[in-house]
Amino acid sequence: MNLQPTVNEWRDQPTPPTTPMREAIGSLLYEFRWLASDTAMMTWRNLMHYRRNPETLASTIAGPVMFLLLFNYVFGGAIGAGRDFNYIDYLVPGILIQNNLFTVMNTGIGIAQDLQKGFVDRYRSLPMARSAVLGGRVCATTLVSFASVYWTLAIALIFGMRFHGGLVPALILPLVVAAFCFAFAWVSALVGVSVRNAETASSSTFFVAIPLTFLSSTFVPIETMPGWLQAFAEVNPITHVVNLCRNLAQGGPLESYAWVTAFWIALMVIGIGSLATWRYRRIS
Amino acid sequence: MNLPAQIQDRSVVGELASAIAVESRWIISDTAIMTWRNLIRYRRSPELLLFSTLSPVMFIFLFNYVFGGAIPTGNLNYIDFLMPGILVQTTLFSATQTGVGLAEDLQKGMVDRYRSLPMARSAVLGGRVAAETLVSLFVACLMLAVGYIIGMRFHGGFWPGFAVPFMVAGFAFGFSWVAAFIGASVRNAEGAGSLMFFVVFPFTFLSSAFVPIETMPGWLQPFTSVNPVTYVVDLGRALSQGGPILTNAWPTALWTLAFTFVVGPVAVWRYRKV
Repeated sequence: MNLQPTVNEWRDQPTPPTTPMREAIGSLLYEFRWLASDTAMMTWRNLMHYRRNPETLASTIAGPVMFLLLFNYVFGGAIGAGRDFNYIDYLVPGILIQNNLFTVMNTGIGIAQDLQKGFVDRYRSLPMARSAVLGGRVCATTLVSFASVYWTLAIALIFGMRFHGGLVPALILPLVVAAFCFAFAWVSALVGVSVRNAETASSSTFFVAIPLTFLSSTFVPIETMPGWLQAFAEVNPITHVVNLCRNLAQGGPLESYAWVTAFWIALMVIGIGSLATWRYRRIS
Repeated sequence: MNLPAQIQDRSVVGELASAIAVESRWIISDTAIMTWRNLIRYRRSPELLLFSTLSPVMFIFLFNYVFGGAIPTGNLNYIDFLMPGILVQTTLFSATQTGVGLAEDLQKGMVDRYRSLPMARSAVLGGRVAAETLVSLFVACLMLAVGYIIGMRFHGGFWPGFAVPFMVAGFAFGFSWVAAFIGASVRNAEGAGSLMFFVVFPFTFLSSAFVPIETMPGWLQPFTSVNPVTYVVDLGRALSQGGPILTNAWPTALWTLAFTFVVGPVAVWRYRKV
């Protein structure tokens, strides 16, 4: 075996002079690498839960089908009568957002469960990034809801929904839904960290998600609601993201909705995300 | 032991009659005790009652304000159209508690304790059914009050309107036996709960409860128009808003009796066999 030493080009380079700035950047990069790999690990752990207990996915899989059939066939005739759109085309973007919000609400329930059962105490004894516990949950539910978007769209296409807005916007649609779900998962994480009890987390998310999704343009045009309700529905972030998704799928003005949606996503990720992490760190 | 005086009568008919009298007296008093036990649960954990009243009230607001403007209901106000439907839907969902509670008792072994007591077996089921019916009646009255506050009015006269909550509770009583049957068969609270959901959900939504049947697609209408829930809802609508009462009253009475006297005994039989 020929073990001729090869020249290590990198080692022969003169080492760059270390400055405090460079060291800071280096340690930040090092930290960040750990954060990313810990988060990936926790995401994987949470996704394994879904593989081991597939029944937790039942509502994610059956929910959109049930809502699609119910609203399109039972309510569709009454709501869509005499309007200038096909009701199923109107409905599907709303269902995408609504059902996936319920899916990402599992983030908080899972975190509360881990806190309640003392699993988090085990994490604490491990040399890992603390924010990875929350981040892993958030990423896992976001990935599940991302997959669920394609599932819902496949069902919707079978039942007669069509894209009228072109190919590229239609391809962007799932990404927008996933980005919003990612942001909303942080809200759920904050709820989970704050209540620390799985049942309370699940019922409080219910009382957050139901009004937000129903008092919006998800199922019926806002103009048909009473005036005082319109005022709320118009500022509801869900209305903006649903309208953005609807216009991506069916064509229509995007920019104004996109700005508001981006604003809410940024607010939820940066503001509520760091608040949730801070609260989680403070738990002793 | 003080037996009734008739027991001294030694004729065969007299003995039989007194035996039946004793038996039925026991059944009634046992059922009353079990009903009381089940009602005390609501006092001890008021959040049960909160959930069974808060979500129906939320549904009233949701349907009336969010969907009401978009659903055309002819010459009826939507809230007038909606209230009978939502009453029936809510009471059916709360009647499913009969089965869930029974399954829970079976699962946790509470029923084994009942068995060791000198009491009528049917009282375990009967108590559950009676308690849920009383809760249904209470919830129905509460919902009508909420509906009245946000604009529902009775246009069919006082007595028919007065009869609405009792009619709805009567149907819930019948349906409770179906729930009891499911509970006694599944014997697992979660399983019974989700099975019940898949029974009640299609029957309540594929009916005239929330939207007029005429607006549904043609292939759905044959089912919705024979759905027993449609008859009950239409009866409630006729009672509260005026309209043909008899045509809807017969099927409603028939289904209620069928549930009570056919499914009920089957449920008791299944429960005895456990």
